Amino acid sequence: MNVLVVLGIILFILMSIIGGTKGVNSFFALFFNFSVVIIITIFMTNPSINPIILTLFASIVISCINLFYINGVNIKTKTAFLSTMITIILLLVFILYLSNKAMIQGFGVEELEELSMFSFTISVDFIKIGTSVIIMSTIGAITDTAMAISSPMREIHFHNPHISRGELYRAGLSIGKDILGTSTNTLFFAFFGGYIALLIWFKDLSYSIGEIINSKIFSAEMITILSAGTGVTLVIPITAWITAYFLVKHKISK
Amino acid sequence: MIKKFTEMSKKMKGFISIVLLTFIGSIIFVHNNYSFYDRSIVEVVKTELLNQAEIKDHVNNKDKLFTQQVIGEVKNGEEKGKQIYLTNEFTSSKANNDEYHIGSELFVHIDSEVGENGYLKGSVDDVKRDKYLLMITWVFIFSLLFVGKRQGLFSLFSLVINAIILSIALDVYVNTSEKSLLIICSISVIIFTIVSLILVSGRNEKTYAAIIATLLGTFLSLAITYFVLWVTSEKGLRYEELQFITRPYKLVFLAGLFLGSLGAVMDVAITMSSSIFGLYEKNNNISVKALITSGREIGKDIMGTMTNILLFAYISGTIPMLILYFKNASPLGFTLSMNLSLELARALAGGIGIVLTIPIGLYITIFFVNRKRASE
Repeated sequence: MNVLVVLGIILFILMSIIGGTKGVNSFFALFFNFSVVIIITIFMTNPSINPIILTLFASIVISCINLFYINGVNIKTKTAFLSTMITIILLLVFILYLSNKAMIQGFGVEELEELSMFSFTISVDFIKIGTSVIIMSTIGAITDTAMAISSPMREIHFHNPHISRGELYRAGLSIGKDILGTSTNTLFFAFFGGYIALLIWFKDLSYSIGEIINSKIFSAEMITILSAGTGVTLVIPITAWITAYFLVKHKISK
Repeated sequence: MIKKFTEMSKKMKGFISIVLLTFIGSIIFVHNNYSFYDRSIVEVVKTELLNQAEIKDHVNNKDKLFTQQVIGEVKNGEEKGKQIYLTNEFTSSKANNDEYHIGSELFVHIDSEVGENGYLKGSVDDVKRDKYLLMITWVFIFSLLFVGKRQGLFSLFSLVINAIILSIALDVYVNTSEKSLLIICSISVIIFTIVSLILVSGRNEKTYAAIIATLLGTFLSLAITYFVLWVTSEKGLRYEELQFITRPYKLVFLAGLFLGSLGAVMDVAITMSSSIFGLYEKNNNISVKALITSGREIGKDIMGTMTNILLFAYISGTIPMLILYFKNASPLGFTLSMNLSLELARALAGGIGIVLTIPIGLYITIFFVNRKRASE
C-alpha cells in the first residue's frame, strides 16, 4: 500500500471520529485546496496569463473553501473573508517589490546542478511566480487568524449588544494579541520542518555567514517565513477593524 | 503621537529608544558593510541592453534571451572606486538568471587583465541581498510590536530562541555521529515546546497541560507515521528531492516531519487547555461532561483550519519546481509524485498529530482542572 494513501485513510478516520460531520468536511476541504493549488500551477505554465491575477483568483477560491464551505456563510465568515483579501493584496504588493529587488526568483546555484537536464528558457515569469508561492504558503494561516478573531468578536457583540465600535475593535485586538504568538509559531515550525534538509546542507557546505545570508535559497526562505509572519500579524488589526465596523453598523441599520 | 510618548513610563521610553537605535544602526550598517565582505562587491551605475534574441528549446518553449552591458563601481578591496564592465545574459523567465538594474549590488569575480580602455573586467557570482533581508526582518518586528505590544515582544523572543536552539541542534548533529538525528530532534522538541509555550502563555497550569499534550501528540503521531512507513515499506515516497544532502535522507525527512508539525500541535494544545480553563474559571462548578462537550466543539472548529495551514505551507514551495517539470513536458503523475510525495506525507502526518492532540489536550486539561478543583 502507498504511504500517502494509508496516512490519508488514518487522517480521514481520525477526523471523522473526533470532528463528526465537520471533520469530514474539513478533510474534503484539504483535498479541494490541494486540487486548487495544482490547477492554478497548471494555469501558471501558460506565460500569457499573469500569475498575480491567478494568485488572487486562487486566494478567493481557497478563502471561500476555508471560510464559507467549512463554517457557513454568515457575518463572521464574510468579514473574515474581506479582511483576508485586503491583507493578501497588501502583502502581494510588498512581496512583489521585495522579490523584484532581492532577485530571489527561480532556482539557486546550488539547485541548478541537480536540474541540469531541464530547459530553463520557458518564458514563464518566475518573479511573479515566486511572489505567488509566498502568498499561497501563508493563505491558510491568514484565513485561520481572521476567523479566530471575527468569530469571538461576534460572540462579544452578541452578549453586549450596546458595545461601541471602538470598544469592540479593542476587544478584537486583544484576542489577536493572545493568538499572535501561537500563529507565528505554527508557521515558523512548519517552514523550519520543510527547510531542515537545506539547513543541514548549508552547515555541511560550511558557508560563511555572509554567503548564507546573501544566497538565493536562504534569502528566499527567510523572506517567505518573515512575510508569512507579517501577514498573520497584519490580518489581526484589519479583521478587528472590519468586523467592528460591520457589526456595529449592522445594528444601526436595523 | 508626541503627547503619547511623553506620557509613557521611563522603561517604555527606554525600550522604544533602543529599538529605534538598533533599527537605524542596522540600516546604516547594511548599506555600508562592503569592507566586511571578502568577495568583491560592485554597485551597478549604468546598464545597456546590447542584444535580444528569440530562442526555442528542445520542448518548443519560446523565450527571449537578452544580453546586457553592465557598468559598475567597485565598493571594496584593492580596486575600490574603480569602474568595472560586466556582461550579463538573462531570459524573460529569469528562472536561473537575473536582470540587473541601476543600484543593484553584485558579488563579482574581478579578472586579472584589464580591458582595452583601462576598465576592469569580471564576472558576476551572486547578488547582494542582505539589505532586503534586513528590511523584511524589520517590517516583521515592527508589525509584531505594533499589533502585539508585550505579547508581540514575547513571541519575538520565542522565535529567536527557537531559531538559536535549532541552529545549535543542527551543529551538534553535523559534528557528531549520523545516527543521532532523531535523538537530538526529540530533545530539541522538548525544549522548543517548553520554551515556546511558557513564553507565549506564562507559567501556569494551563501551560503545563498544553506542554504535556503537545509532547504526547507529537510523539504519538511520529510513532504512527513511523509504523505506517514500516508497514508500507515506504512505497510511494520519492526521496529524490532530498538526495542533494550527503546524509541519510530518510532520517532528515522524519526530523523535518517531526519539527514541522510541532508548531501546529502546540497551537492546538494551548487553544484546548486555555479555553477549557477559561470555562472552568468562569464557572467553578461546571461538570466534567459539559467541559468535554465544549472541548469537542472547540476541537471541531480548529482541526480544519490547522490542517490547512500545514498543507499550504508545505506544498506551495514546490510550485516553481512543478512548473519547471510541466514546461519540460513531464507527465502529470510523474511530476506530482516526484515533487509532492514528501510534502503530502508531512502534511498528512502533521494533520494526524493535530487531530490526535484535540482529545489528548482535552483529557489532560480536564485532569488538571480536577486536580485544581480537589485542592480548593
